[in-house]
Amino acid sequence: MGLDNKKGKLLGHDRDELINLADKALKREGVISVIVVLLGFLLGTLLIAFVGKNPSGMYSSIWQAITGHNTVTGRFNIRNIGDTLNYLVPFTLCGLSIAFAYRAGLFNIGAEGQYIVGMTVATVCAYYGPKVPVIHAVYCLLMATAAAAAYGGVVGYLKSKFEVSEVVATIMLNYTALYLSRMVCMALPGATTYNTSPFPKTALMKWGPLESMFNGSTINLGILVLVFGLLVYWFIMEKTILGFELKATGFNKNASLASGIPTRRSTILSMAISGAFAGAAGAVVAIGSFTYGRIVSGMDNYGFNGIAVALIGNCKTIGILLAGYLFGVLKQAQQFMQTRGVPREVTFIIQGVIVVFIALRSAAEIMRARISKMKVGDSKAKSGAPASVKAE
Amino acid sequence: MKKGFLAGLAIAMVVLTMFASCSKKAAGTGITTRILTDATGIDDKSFNASAWRGIERFYDNTSLRNKSYSYVTAQSQDQYIPNLNNAADEDISLIIASGFTWSDSIKTVASQHPNQKFMLIDAAGVNLPNVVETLFAEEMGSYLVGVIAAEQAKAEGIENPGFGFVGGVPGATITKFEMGYVQGVRSVFPNARIVDYYANNWGAPEMAKAQAKNWFDSGIYCIFSAAGSTGNGVIAQAKEERAKGKKVWAIGVDSDQFEDGLYNSTDSAVLTSMLKKVENATFQILTELKDGKFISGIRVFDLSIDAVGYSDRNVKMAKTAKDAAEKAKKNILSGKVVVEKTFAGAKAKGLVPASLHAVDD
Repeated sequence: MGLDNKKGKLLGHDRDELINLADKALKREGVISVIVVLLGFLLGTLLIAFVGKNPSGMYSSIWQAITGHNTVTGRFNIRNIGDTLNYLVPFTLCGLSIAFAYRAGLFNIGAEGQYIVGMTVATVCAYYGPKVPVIHAVYCLLMATAAAAAYGGVVGYLKSKFEVSEVVATIMLNYTALYLSRMVCMALPGATTYNTSPFPKTALMKWGPLESMFNGSTINLGILVLVFGLLVYWFIMEKTILGFELKATGFNKNASLASGIPTRRSTILSMAISGAFAGAAGAVVAIGSFTYGRIVSGMDNYGFNGIAVALIGNCKTIGILLAGYLFGVLKQAQQFMQTRGVPREVTFIIQGVIVVFIALRSAAEIMRARISKMKVGDSKAKSGAPASVKAE
Repeated sequence: MKKGFLAGLAIAMVVLTMFASCSKKAAGTGITTRILTDATGIDDKSFNASAWRGIERFYDNTSLRNKSYSYVTAQSQDQYIPNLNNAADEDISLIIASGFTWSDSIKTVASQHPNQKFMLIDAAGVNLPNVVETLFAEEMGSYLVGVIAAEQAKAEGIENPGFGFVGGVPGATITKFEMGYVQGVRSVFPNARIVDYYANNWGAPEMAKAQAKNWFDSGIYCIFSAAGSTGNGVIAQAKEERAKGKKVWAIGVDSDQFEDGLYNSTDSAVLTSMLKKVENATFQILTELKDGKFISGIRVFDLSIDAVGYSDRNVKMAKTAKDAAEKAKKNILSGKVVVEKTFAGAKAKGLVPASLHAVDD
């Protein structure tokens, strides 16, 4: 394709310039993601207008979620920014989880279950861990991550050894995790039908200065876990042999196997690391956003939303972070929207539409193929020279 | 072209944002309120819906919605504190949190906003001067459905009817239901056979269904369940039995479960339901607030404002049963009948058999 661009420039026609621009834009997957997100918002806006509500309520809500500025009362509260950032953490970590498996050619629908396992183990460790500041919270986090890694790894093992579909296995394990979590948490100290007694202070990820900086927001040190997670993801994927092997397995398993890559190991490892990210998300929510254990009656849906986050972010580190932020903003915006007469369900529709339109990536490929044909046609007509074999 | 499209969209967004700042809130007159619910929202056909009805009744003007009153649904529990905080930012007269899962969050936020008034529905234990905690006298409503069940047996000419109770996880809350029900039944049949069963689970309808089948086979006439979705197993079994022509009944709880009990287009196996009318509690607190009154702490709402009661939707309910329930209601209100809500208290007075499995905390 690079060859075509060069040729167009050499010929120096205006139309070619334009075509080249479109070609380049479509080649940048980031651009496609942005277009898709905008399309989602456009449809959401039309939908609100269509049901006779004022779409401005949605945008002022999103504005408040991002900047903390309430356009209705004219007040500013930095706490809103902090809360949005706090939602961003589990969305992004779960996005990393899905993306990690996806890059290795696996579709991990079980991030929700792995998230619940992480949450549960963190809750248990909050009661029974070493009650030393910092060490206790880190212990909870590590145990949660390890347990969720094992929970994901089992699926990887089943996949590599017995060809068990990871999609089916992980979906089933989501429910196993939910009910297991309820059984375990009901046996914890002070368990009622919905919560357990308050955690020891040493287990919490809360940090006073950060909270007061954001005016009493729920933001906590989970944000550091996220930064670490992003670095780990980027480093493994881009800088290590392991990452290369995983990606190669994802591209073509048989070819990878033939060139000496241990694809079985890749499958198990990628599911385990994928689970670890989701487990970390669960731990961050459990001991970061809450000061007591929860007996969950339903799913928090961070894991499921992680699928959309990974797809929108195109499985790239920065992309996932931005997509996670988008989801955090939409989640935070819901409460403002509802008081401004815009149904919060619109945010789910926007998210859904975005995921559907992500399929436009393949449409972009088709368009690029057409563009290259147009260029070939041009060069034929103008210069009379036969098109290169490659361009066809 | 794509660039122009993007730029257009960006401009549209900015313009819309600017518009938003123009749509200032109409100057609110008097009381403003906001109800915060869990993920089920105000259209859960049950608890939250009932609380919302009370608010709508108080304002009686839907054009005030989102001006004087509004609701916010939390998608997950980590939104509780942010949602409470943001409501507290907006100078709302009364912030209502629906359901006991809000207890911890409301405790945190209410102590940070001592001048903001809060109302917590169906929970207690916050103990702050700016929080009213509403509870319901479930034992009174349960007493009434007990009376109805027993009178219905009389009207249908059942010999030696037995009565069953299915609970979720044993505890003081559910004991109130059981004690009220048993006392109601025994006020009609002082020696009636009473059986009870605790599933130790709020979500195991299959366990309740198996138990209900055993009981119906052994001559139990009516089963009252206060067990979350576990209780649906009782209704399911009663439907099967009634469809076969057997004279048995189930009693619903919290909201009217008549429709859950339909076994053909018109007949329901749910004789009546013990109703918890949260709407009357929200309406009451808002009305008090309008009159400049705010009483914090635990408030127990009972028959006096119809906060608990029974449903008379099933046409098969005998008139004598309804009359007896109305009479019992009057007696409770006048203090002639005192419904014990603890197992220990009821046992001491000999009102319930000592063999029951109820637990006082």
